[in-house]
Amino acid sequence: MVEQIADKVLAGGRVDAAEAVELYRHAPTNLLGRLADVIRGRKHPGRIVTYIIDRNVNYTNVCVARCNFCAFYRPVGSAEGYVLGFDEIFAKIDETISVGGNQLLLQGGHNPDLPIAWYEDLFRAVKARYPSFKLHALSPPEVLHIAKLNQLTVPVVIERLVAAGLDSIPGGGAEILVDRVRKLLNCFGKASSDDWLDVMRQAHRAGLRTTATMMYGTVETPEERIEHMMRLRDVQDETGGFTAFITWSYQPEHTERGGREATGIDYLRTLALARVVLDNVDNMQASWVTQGGKVGQLSLAFGANDMGSVMIEENVVRAAGASYCMDEVEIVVNIEDAGFTPKRRNMHYELLGDPVFREREVPRMLSLATAREDGDDSIPGDLKNYPARSREAKRLRLAQ
Amino acid sequence: MQRVSVGERLSPEEIAGLAEAPDILPLGMLADVLRRRLHDKAVTYLRVARCAFDQIMAEAVSPAAREVRLTGAPDTLPIAVSAVSRARGIAGDRAVSGFSWGDVERLARAGAGSVSEVLGELRTAGLDAVAELPMDRIDSLDEAVDLLTAAGFSRLRLTVDSAAAAERPALFLRAAVLQERGGAIQAINPLPMVLNAMRPTTGYSDVKMVAIARLAAPNVAMIQVDWLRYGPKLAQVALTFGADDLDNCSPSDDAPDGKRRAPLEEIRRNVDAAGFTPVERDGRFAVVG
Ligand code: SF4
Repeated sequence: MVEQIADKVLAGGRVDAAEAVELYRHAPTNLLGRLADVIRGRKHPGRIVTYIIDRNVNYTNVCVARCNFCAFYRPVGSAEGYVLGFDEIFAKIDETISVGGNQLLLQGGHNPDLPIAWYEDLFRAVKARYPSFKLHALSPPEVLHIAKLNQLTVPVVIERLVAAGLDSIPGGGAEILVDRVRKLLNCFGKASSDDWLDVMRQAHRAGLRTTATMMYGTVETPEERIEHMMRLRDVQDETGGFTAFITWSYQPEHTERGGREATGIDYLRTLALARVVLDNVDNMQASWVTQGGKVGQLSLAFGANDMGSVMIEENVVRAAGASYCMDEVEIVVNIEDAGFTPKRRNMHYELLGDPVFREREVPRMLSLATAREDGDDSIPGDLKNYPARSREAKRLRLAQ
Repeated sequence: MQRVSVGERLSPEEIAGLAEAPDILPLGMLADVLRRRLHDKAVTYLRVARCAFDQIMAEAVSPAAREVRLTGAPDTLPIAVSAVSRARGIAGDRAVSGFSWGDVERLARAGAGSVSEVLGELRTAGLDAVAELPMDRIDSLDEAVDLLTAAGFSRLRLTVDSAAAAERPALFLRAAVLQERGGAIQAINPLPMVLNAMRPTTGYSDVKMVAIARLAAPNVAMIQVDWLRYGPKLAQVALTFGADDLDNCSPSDDAPDGKRRAPLEEIRRNVDAAGFTPVERDGRFAVVG
């Protein structure tokens, strides 16, 4: 059975859900890798592996969604809750530009005290100061949250944010796109599977490109992981808007849900399977942030053709215990060591050139920055321009 | 594939060719064929109590450990012998290992004795194995192996100290030739013991070296990965590239990285998830239970 499916894949055929389950359950790990590697080679001839220099900024950790797998959020009113000020965000952009980056990956909690005007003003301010800088921002659940909070429809929210400067949407918050799983993870409320996919459809219709993600390793079965991939594949057949797929393992530390992290082999098998199933998605990112540099590099043999971000800042995964760090030099060393040619890219996966550090002197980044220094609990002045909704925030803004 | 699956040795040229190819999966598949022929689905693991030679040993030796491994470099032979005797007392019938070949040579020089005298005394005091025999640090591997076996060390494991990846295939081939003569080599641990934080080895290079060691020395039973040094993720993936033994697993519930997770369950879970069967072994390479 496995052999027949393997032949079909090698001949360029598309696997159905049952065949994908069969591969995931029974194909030897190296064979699964082989199939994924052949597909990678077909889609990306010339042994090029890409990466992007951008910065993952989390503008707020205050969140009303309370997903039970999340170690990052703080409830409204928590002393550890923060919102970044515009100036703090500008400073992060300056640092990003100094190491050759040209984009922020901007995501955050579902903060009830940030109206849509806050996002619009932020985006406009960024574009005014840095006209060619890109904003890859607001995952579908955040877009939905903004829509609900401001009593707007999703297309209107997207239209307004794009008018303010939004360039593309990251595929976060997908977790597993099966409602049984979402209910168990307490993330059904923030977005059902259909909701998530629908925001992406709307975004694609509005001309935005987006990524797609999957967080596995909680309560889902292999069949449900595959259902997730199938649902993405269907939308991609429809719109063609996904540029890349990124999967990572649930990071259990400091979360309400707890439990254990799936193993490295689970990761490589899941990645390879995704490469086989998602035949209509061009790029697969390696998640070295959750898997570490070594298995991150091995991803390149199991279907990945992209090393993701040269991470300058990371807060979400780090809150859950993982804190692997690689700067551009290390990313490039790993790509070349694996026998590939490294190239910088943008969000649209257009090649931008060779490593920046080979062209000019850039500061080495040997540890990851965080959204805020420890102990910094300042409240940015710009917040008082926006009406708060929660009682706690109203009180604080009056006091400002 | 055919030749490997019947246990035929590959030529040095073939090994060199495999080591140079950028594709690691065909290499992994080849090593896996041989690994399965030798061990089927079994993956052994060894829980080791590591304790410094000058430490209070009773505290360092967990009852769950299957080997006591002395670390550190004692200045003189009497200090080393006394450490071995104390470890022997605490270990009971468990194996005691310790020191490296470099320590043995150094102790011989310090006491103006011969290497075989040092080995003899350590053996008499109750040492079951010299913990590290770094192939890249021993001038004459043949002679060292002869001296060790003559002193009664009958189960040897060869290690790598810090040799670059490009130099290691030749070492593994030599180990295979050596094994033909005496057969005392139980295991090869192909990944460096000395970790360089500034220039860590890569995932590709690690799994490639594991596979090359497996293929270059088909007459050596075990290919090990150090669980503590290399971590669960890499060690687990290495099992699908020809490794069959997890050395240096922690016996206590306090992992040195400060994270409390039950090591035993973690090991077994990783072995299972890789599609193999976990089997505990002791410091003398015998299956436990
Ligand atoms: S995952 Fe996102 S939406 Fe869920 S609790 Fe964390 S910050 Fe909030």
